[in-house]
This record gives sequence, C-alpha cells and structure tokens, in this order.
Amino acid sequence: MPDVIIDGQEVSVPRGTTVIQAAEQLGIFIPRYCYHPGLSTAGNCRICLVEVEKNPKLQVACNLPVTDGMVVHTRGEAAEDGRRAVLEFLLANHPLDCPVCDQSGECDLQNFYMKFGLYDPRFHEHKVKKKKAVQLGPHVMLDQERCILCSRCVRFTEEITETGELGIFNRGDRAELAIYPGGVLDNPYSTNVVDICPVGALTERESRFKVRVWYLSSAPTVCNGCSRGCNMDMHFVLDRPHLNDGRRVVRVKPRHNPDVNQWWLCDAGRYGLGWIDEGRLGEVRERGATSTWDAALAAIARAMQESDRSRVGVIASAQLTCEELFLIREIFDGARVSAAVPEEPGACDDFLVESDKNPNTQGARLLGMAGPVIGDTTGGLGGSADVPDGQAIAQAARSGELDVLWVFGHDLVELFGAESAHEIAQNVGLLVFSGTNENATVELAQWVVPTAAYLEKDGTFVNCEGRVQRIGRVFAPPAGVREDWSVLLELAERSGRPRDSHEPRTIFAALAAAEAAFAGLTYESIGTLGAPVAGSAARVMSKAEPTP
Amino acid sequence: MINLVHLEPRAREIIALYEYPKAAMLPLLWLVQENEGYVSCKAEAWVARMLGVALARVREVVSFYNMFHTQPVGRRELRVCTSLPCVLRGSGELMRRIQRELKIAPGETTPGGEVTLTEVECLCACEMAPMAQLDERFVGPVQLDAASEGATVATLVQDARTAPGRLEATPDPEPYIYTEGPVLSSRLMDADGTWLEAYGDYAGARKALTSMKPGEVITEVSRANLRGLGGAGFPAGRKWSFIPKAVDKPVYLVVNADEGEPGTFKDRYIMERDPHMLLEGMLIAAYAIGSHKAYVYIRGEYFLSAQRLQRAIDEACAAGWLGKDIQGTGFDLEVVIHRGAGAYICGEETALLTSLEGGKGFPRLKPPFPAISGLFACPTIVNNVETLSCVPFILRNGAEHFAAIGTESQGGTRLFCVSGHVNRPGVYEVPVSVTLHELIGDFTGGVREGRALKAVIPGGISAKVLTADEIDVVMDFDSLRAAGSMAGSGGVIVMDEMTCMVEALESAARFFADESCGQCSPCREGTGWVHRIVRRITEGRGKPRDLDDLLAIAGDMEGKTICVFADAAAWPVQSYITKFRTEFEDFVAAGRRTPSAEVAQCRT
Ligand SMILES: Cc1cc2nc3c(=O)[nH]c(=O)nc-3n(C[C@H](O)[C@H](O)[C@H](O)COP(=O)(O)O)c2cc1C
Ligand code: SF4
Ligand code: SF4
Ligand code: SF4
Ligand code: FES
Repeated sequence: MPDVIIDGQEVSVPRGTTVIQAAEQLGIFIPRYCYHPGLSTAGNCRICLVEVEKNPKLQVACNLPVTDGMVVHTRGEAAEDGRRAVLEFLLANHPLDCPVCDQSGECDLQNFYMKFGLYDPRFHEHKVKKKKAVQLGPHVMLDQERCILCSRCVRFTEEITETGELGIFNRGDRAELAIYPGGVLDNPYSTNVVDICPVGALTERESRFKVRVWYLSSAPTVCNGCSRGCNMDMHFVLDRPHLNDGRRVVRVKPRHNPDVNQWWLCDAGRYGLGWIDEGRLGEVRERGATSTWDAALAAIARAMQESDRSRVGVIASAQLTCEELFLIREIFDGARVSAAVPEEPGACDDFLVESDKNPNTQGARLLGMAGPVIGDTTGGLGGSADVPDGQAIAQAARSGELDVLWVFGHDLVELFGAESAHEIAQNVGLLVFSGTNENATVELAQWVVPTAAYLEKDGTFVNCEGRVQRIGRVFAPPAGVREDWSVLLELAERSGRPRDSHEPRTIFAALAAAEAAFAGLTYESIGTLGAPVAGSAARVMSKAEPTP
Repeated sequence: MINLVHLEPRAREIIALYEYPKAAMLPLLWLVQENEGYVSCKAEAWVARMLGVALARVREVVSFYNMFHTQPVGRRELRVCTSLPCVLRGSGELMRRIQRELKIAPGETTPGGEVTLTEVECLCACEMAPMAQLDERFVGPVQLDAASEGATVATLVQDARTAPGRLEATPDPEPYIYTEGPVLSSRLMDADGTWLEAYGDYAGARKALTSMKPGEVITEVSRANLRGLGGAGFPAGRKWSFIPKAVDKPVYLVVNADEGEPGTFKDRYIMERDPHMLLEGMLIAAYAIGSHKAYVYIRGEYFLSAQRLQRAIDEACAAGWLGKDIQGTGFDLEVVIHRGAGAYICGEETALLTSLEGGKGFPRLKPPFPAISGLFACPTIVNNVETLSCVPFILRNGAEHFAAIGTESQGGTRLFCVSGHVNRPGVYEVPVSVTLHELIGDFTGGVREGRALKAVIPGGISAKVLTADEIDVVMDFDSLRAAGSMAGSGGVIVMDEMTCMVEALESAARFFADESCGQCSPCREGTGWVHRIVRRITEGRGKPRDLDDLLAIAGDMEGKTICVFADAAAWPVQSYITKFRTEFEDFVAAGRRTPSAEVAQCRT
C-alpha cells in the first residue's frame, strides 16, 4: 500500500490507484472531463494536471499511479496555471451558447471555469464551425460545437455497450464527434452518453429545453423496471408544473452503485415512468361511482371478517415493497395469497436488463409469496414450491370458491383474458382492486382504491441478486391517493388485527425480526446503496477491462 | 455498385499476417483504394465486416489519414509539397504555376478526370525541393526556370495529364548522396547496392546469432553509445534492456520508418538503396530482445521504399536470413511491412503502435511504456530505421570503433539531411562530432549564390531555430540540447538572408495545425489557434499584441500533452519570434515583408 501526500494530506492506497482516485479518498476533487471511472483512461482533456514533486512536468492525475512517498500538489501555482491554460484552449472554439444550453447550471466547462479559469479571454479568431442539432437517436441530440472531444461517449459505446455507433472523425481541430452517416444511436443504453457528457454536447430529446436545471429537485430511488433494481436519481418539478406540461418527473439519472448498476441505466427503465404522471387513479370508487376511503375500508374489513379465511384470496404483486408484502402476509394469514402471476418474460441482456420486469420478485420469494427461481436447486434465493400462484387463486375465484378477492395492481383481463376476468368478477362476492393507473380490471371491481406509485412511498425491494434496496420517497402521492402500506395498516386495525408498526421503517423492523433472511438489517444498515440479504451471494458486477 | 468479393481472398491473406484482424485496417483500406480508386462507404462497410469492427471505427481511420479518398478522384494524383523546405526553394511559385496550367485548385480534379491536385505537408524528399509526387513517384527538383534541364513545370503537368504514375514505369530518381561510409552510406551511391548480392553476408548478425548471448549483444550496443536517431536520442542498448526478462507474451520489434519530420529523408535512402543493412540490424535487434516478429511501419507516401524493402525481405528469406531457423541457428524472425497512409503523428512511437493496431494514429498515455506494454499489449521495442542500420557495423567492427567515431556521449555518424538554401542539398554521413558550421560550409558547398546565412533549423522542423551566429555547435544530441535546440531527426534546414521568418513560421504553424492528431485539448486547439494568428499576420492583418499572444499560447501548449508534438509545435513559435522579433514587429506594422526579405521565395 503506497503512501502518498496530496495537498499536505497523507493517504495509503492499494498499488495501481491513480492520483485522481487517491485524492478522491481524501475529499480532494481534481477536475476532469475525459476521465470516467467506468471507462478506460483516455487522458486527452488534460484538465486534471497536478504537480508532482521531483517531476519538472505537470502530470495528469487520471493516469498517474501513486508511488510510495509521492508528493502531489493540486492547488499550487503551476497546477492552477496549467488548468487555466487547458480551459482557455477548451473554450477557444467553444460557442457562446450558455443562455440556450440545457447543460447550463450543471456544465463542467462552466463550473471549472468559475473555479479554475477566470482569465481574460484572448481568442479573437473565427471559431471552427460544426453542426448544431444532430439527432443521434431516439433519445439523444448532439451539438458538435459544444463537444470538447473528451471521447467518453465513444468509449461508452465501445466498451460498455460494444455497439460502437459513435466516433471522432477527422483530426486536429477539424475533429468532430459524430455517428456514422445513417446510423442511429438506439442501443438499449443509449442515453447514458448524455449523463457522462461533461458538457452540453449531448442532451436528452425528452427533456431538452423543458426545465432549467436549477428548477429541478432530486431524490434517490431505485428503478422498478426490472428485477435488477438499478439505482437512480429522480429529477422532478413540483412548484412549476407549467415547465414540464404538468408532469412531475422531468428526467432520470443513474445513481452509482458498484454492486448493482455501476454508473448506468437502461433506456427502458429511464423512460418507463410515464405512467406516474399519466392515467392515474385519483379517487376511491364503488362500482364506478366516487366513494370514500372510509366506506371502502369498512366494506372490505367487514367482508373479511364475515368470510372464512380460506375463501379469501389476494393476488399481490412483486411491484409492492417488502413492507407491504409482509403486511399482506400477516394480515391475510390463512387466506390464499400469492405475489406471483403468470407473466411472459421480457427482454433481457448480459448486462443490466433482467427478463423479470418486477422489482421485488425476490422479496416476495423470501417472504414465501412466490415460487423459487426456476432451476434454483440450492434454495439460497428462497421461494417455496408450495406457494400457490396467482393463476390458481384466479381459478378458485372463477369457480366460486372465494368470497373476497383483492387484486394489487394487476389487470386480470391482460393476465387471464376478458372472459375469465368477467367470470371472476361475477363469481366472487367482493372484488377489490388497488393500484395506480386505469386498466380493464378497474371496470370490473366492486371497489377500486387508488394507491401510491412506488416513487410516492418509502419501502424496500430485493433485487434479483438478493440485495435489499430502499426506494425512498421522491414526492407525495396525489391528493386522495394512499400508500398501500398505510391502507393495509388501517385495514388491519379495522379487521381486528392491529399492528405495532406505523410506517415503513417500523414495518421493516418487524419483518427483519420475523424473517431470517432479513435478520439484522435496518434502514440505516441498508443505507443508500442497499445490503445483501443473508445467504445471497452479493456479486460485484464488473465489465471486463477493454482489450486492444 | 461496387462489389469487393474478388478482393476477399487477398484480404484474408493480409489479415493472416497480423495477430488481430483489426490490425489489417490500413492494408485493407489500401487494397480497396488501389482497386477502386477511393474508399466508398460500401468499401468501409466491407472493411468493417472483414475485420469485425464497427463502421464508425473504419470511418475514424479513413478520415484521420490524408491519403484515403472518400470520393472518386482523377486517374492520377499530383501531390505538391508546401512544407518549409520546399517553400524555401520555391514551392509557392510551383503550386501557383501548376494551378494555372491545370486550371484547378488544390483538392480539385481536372474536368477530364486526368488528375487530382493535392497540397501536402512534407513528403520527406526535401533534397529535391521544390518537389511533387505523381501517384507513386517523386519528381523534383522541379525547375521553375523553363530553360533548365530536368523536370520543369511543363513536363510535370504533361506527365500529370498523361504519364503512368506507377513506379515500374520510371527510373529511380537521382540520389542526392555525397558520402561513402563509414557506417551508413557505404552502398548508398551504388545503384546496385540495394541487392543482397552487393550487400553480401549478414556478418554482424551471424556473429551475434552464433557466438553471443542476447544480453551480450545489448551490452555491445550500449557500449557503442548508439543513440536513437529517430529524434529522441534515447540510448538504444538501454532501451532494449527494458524488455522484461521472463515474459510469457510475444515480444515485438517495430521499425519506425514513418519518416515525416520536415527536412528529413535519410530513412528513405536506407530502405531504397541499402535495405539489407536495415534487415541485418533488425535481425540482430530481434535476437537481442527475443522477438520473432518484426513490423516495419513505412509512411504511406514511400511507395518505392516499401517495394524495395519487400524485395529485400524476399531475398533474405530465400537466402535463409529471415524466416524459420535462420542459418540453422534455430532463431526465427518474420518481418511484415505495414504501410501508413498520410499522418505525420504516426512517427511518434506509440501513435505508430496504435496505427499499426488499426486505429487512428493517437499517441498513447505513458505509463505503460512500449517495452512493457506496446504492440497488442506485448513488450515492444520501437527503433528508427537509421538506428537499426548502425547495428551491423557495431557488431562487425566492435563497439569501441563505433563509439570512437562520435562524441563522448554519442557514438558513430549520422545521415544528416540538409535542405533549404545550400548549394548541394542531400544526405551526408558525418560523425556526430561535426559542427553545424562545418556541415554547411565543408560538405554542402555552403549557402547558395554566395548569400549570407540567416538561420538554421538543425534537427527537423520541430527543433528550435538557430541564428547564423549560433552554428558553431556540435551536432550530437547533448550539445544541441545545451545550445537550446535539438538534434532531432538530423534534418538540417538552412535559410539564407532572403528568408522571411514570418512566412517560414506560417508554414511551420500550418504543418502542426494540419498534423495534430487532435486528442489533447491544448494541442488540438493551440495548433489551430496559433496558425490562424500567424496566417492573419502574413495576410497583413496582424495586430501588435499578436506576438505576445503567440508566445503566451505557445507557452501554454508546452508540457501538458500526451506526446511532445504540442511542445514541438510551440518551439518554432517561441524561437522564431524571440530570435527575430524585430522582423516580426516590422511585418505586423507594415502588413507585409520587410525590405530585406522582399525577394524571398516564400509563398504568400
Ligand atoms: C511528433 C513526433 C514525431 C516523430 N516522428 C518520428 C519519425 O518520423 N521517425 C522516427 O524514427 N521517429 C520519430 N519520432 C520519435 C519516436 O517517437 C521514437 O522516439 C523513435 O522512433 C524511437 O526510435 P529510436 O530510439 O531508434 O530513435 C517522433 C516523435 C514525435 C514526438
Ligand atoms: S456546454 Fe457548458 S459552456 Fe458550453 S454552452 Fe453549454 S453550458 Fe455553456
Ligand atoms: S459529445 Fe460529450 S461525451 Fe462525447 S466526446 Fe463530446 S464532450 Fe465528450
Ligand atoms: S500532443 Fe498533439 S499530437 Fe500529441 S497526442 Fe496530443 S493532440 Fe495528439
Ligand atoms: S481527466 Fe485526466 S486528462 Fe482528462
């Protein structure tokens, strides 16, 4: 472990660590454009210049392995002057676009200029002209003049997606970032290039020109698009709805988690959130007519109390949080409960995307509410073959074996066909639907209760690799909409089975006390990056180093 | 529609020469261009498929190198060099006359499709300046005076319209070689010296392979004080010793024959006129470092060099000096020629490796150094043609003999390439202990037309310029460094009193702006910026503050980039402006050449 001194602070780091990484451990930020920890090192922008004692030349921190006894200065006169020079070069041909540039406010050219630049501009020649609004693909727009040729996006398409759409063509100051003529940047991860572009050269078509970044709020969450549970930050506006056509979610940015998604997100997950601000259920309905939560919960509680437990069915969902599944399991003890429904597997790849499009199937398994992973012989991931699946419960409902059936979020018509769905509606005494959006089942249910989207509530999901991740709560549900867990707690109260917990955190504590797989975990220990459940082989993901 | 199926068998043969298919990028693009005349987008797709790479990788390469055409061009291509050494001998006027005769501008093709005119940076044939290249063959000096003998503008234009440009059709150009030995130029004057028969036995290699251990060869070369003659002057033996002792990867020897430094043309003479000397040097080096595969990266414009060297390789293979079990010693060496395609930066050794691997010529970050991780991420030694060509002499005559020829820190001779305003431009083999003064005065016949000397660039265009009173300097690496310049590639560019330094700088600045690979921000932006300012000055629109701005920008470019190209681009700016400040100020003030330089033959 070589020891290095950076700006007077000493740190011991593993061999092979670079100065930029070692500095980070000390909380010293060295500016960078081309360096990205998830990509190979290009070392072309030259902004990360530092002074190394006994070395007459400035060195780039991103490609300098620390050696024992190395003494580095990041804020000395030489380093500052070097950075100033590099910035001046980068801005020489840069257009004066800031007032109309989407990156403005989160642009590393602007930021570093304010922090490290601030020189008197002396570039008075004609700037090199390039193309301004090139559509690279369904989600990504390019402005060649703003590009600083850091090659992050090129390396991303070479090394991460291995699709190679982008290139830097020509040489010298004629070099330009482009896509091969006629090509389309439409790989399943295409929008990540926007995230990693340090300037406003690559922007998202979806959010372009919509909201100035300084009007955005941000909150961490987890994607619910598939069972990987990629970590993300939700960027939203609440107080200026006109900026984004009334939608709260403006854009999604990946949040780094080395064990789940590294720095990346798939486009399907990123753009899969339209439903949150569209077609939402906003009121309790009884047979199509507006009703109240009080009436609904009273009716459901009554029906539950009046029926034999074995004649109550719940088709829960792997879209619900562990806390909610746990409450369902406890409250509907003795009833026919399952969180598994027959679904066609979706698209998957050898990187992030999983074919199971539910974020919490693994949580449901661990809580005994879904069958095991097909082919899992170790049982390490939980799930019991005895769990009925949603199809069996639907069948029971259809043949009149149930008095009460509660469907969480699913569309029976889509799952079992219109005919079966209608028969189910006719043959159960009470059909309850809770969920976020309009669907065909809403028409059939006696009671419809509007519940919160996952962004609107706290709780945990367990991803396909057995990592418990907290989803946080990005913003509140719309008026009249309640979180599933709070509905369930009230139902427990009303049906004479009150619980000690009153919010997700304490529900989770009860869950952790009851389930060995979760033993010892708390919201604190899960933190922002999640924690593996007992017995899961918490795998560290990594993409192989690029070969020449 | 083009159909390239007929090229596939040949393409597969080419790919088989390389460890990875992608390395066959440049040869396949050459194959296409030779057959189709240009690289169409269909051809790019074909190459991408043959190599299993993304289309964008092919486009990156095609757009990076100057010699590939992406549009149909004329039946012949006339490349006119307008770099400094040619500028000094009238290439500006040559270009103007060619344009007038052909009635087209650079980049255009005559209406009948006979010829495409291209303005190029240094073709490294400065001894025959002003010169041009018609397809594969060099033509020069092109006489601007119609009454003189040899090629004139009229014959050049006539040839461009009608004559075949292939090498076979024309005799070798006259050699501009004025020495015979001791080390490097023994056979250069002899037109037949290029054949194995004239060369004779690989005696130095025989000695190394049969009686010495690899380590002993390295020691011998170290003791000879052989310095790298590609430009950096790194001790050759020491470099060889960096190859890790126990490696489980192949070791490569890569020969840098990408000669591109304006003012330099020695490697071409060796490859064309004494290729076996190079091959013998390579064999000894390969034995010393444990390499069984060597690549020779020859700049794309050197058609004849590639052809001659290939012929020599074939001869050597037939005679058992290359290939398997060389002379029964059990040592194997395969040599593959790899042709560049028009990019000066590929002379930088790591750019050369990236280019050889099938990429754009981007220099690489160091560490790692090539000796640890070079070609295909394997230990690699890159040496210049001339460096390796010294090795047979060392093995035959002993390290002491070689060391004694030079100075204390640098053994041997160099092939100095003298161009510009001297009476006899050409290649001169002289011990490195010679002074610049002696080289110009005693060897080249002095400054032409009895004029006074104004300035000399002693080591290729990247070296800082020396004024007439700074030329009493010994021409080895250390002395020139101490004098504030560098020995570099051995390209000595001589400028007489008529030279306009502002226009000389414009030519140099344009060279660097044209040739920057463009990856480092200070170099990409700085070279373009500097050139735009200097060009504005030469166009008469200079401002007083430009000179200080130029010096500041040059200072900002220095010491901050992946390779030293940016530094090399800064040095001329700094040295010309500082050493000839008054001339620059007068030019800016007057908006044109000052009287003393009025008759200079610089281009405008
Ligand atoms: C911009 C640049 C251009 C270069 N061009 C050449 C060249 O054309 N030929 C060459 O042999 N070396 C050239 N070099 C030097 C090589 O990088 C390298 O030092 C050399 O090939 C090593 O061989 P040597 O030790 O035998 O000289 C160049 C270096 C730089 C920085
Ligand atoms: S990329 Fe940054 S510096 Fe450039 S226009 Fe946009 S906000 Fe301004
Ligand atoms: S588009 Fe952005 S990420 Fe890509 S090279 Fe340009 S600045 Fe870098
Ligand atoms: S200094 Fe210039 S030529 Fe060298 S790597 Fe950087 S951009 Fe390329
Ligand atoms: S971040 Fe180090 S050179 Fe770009």
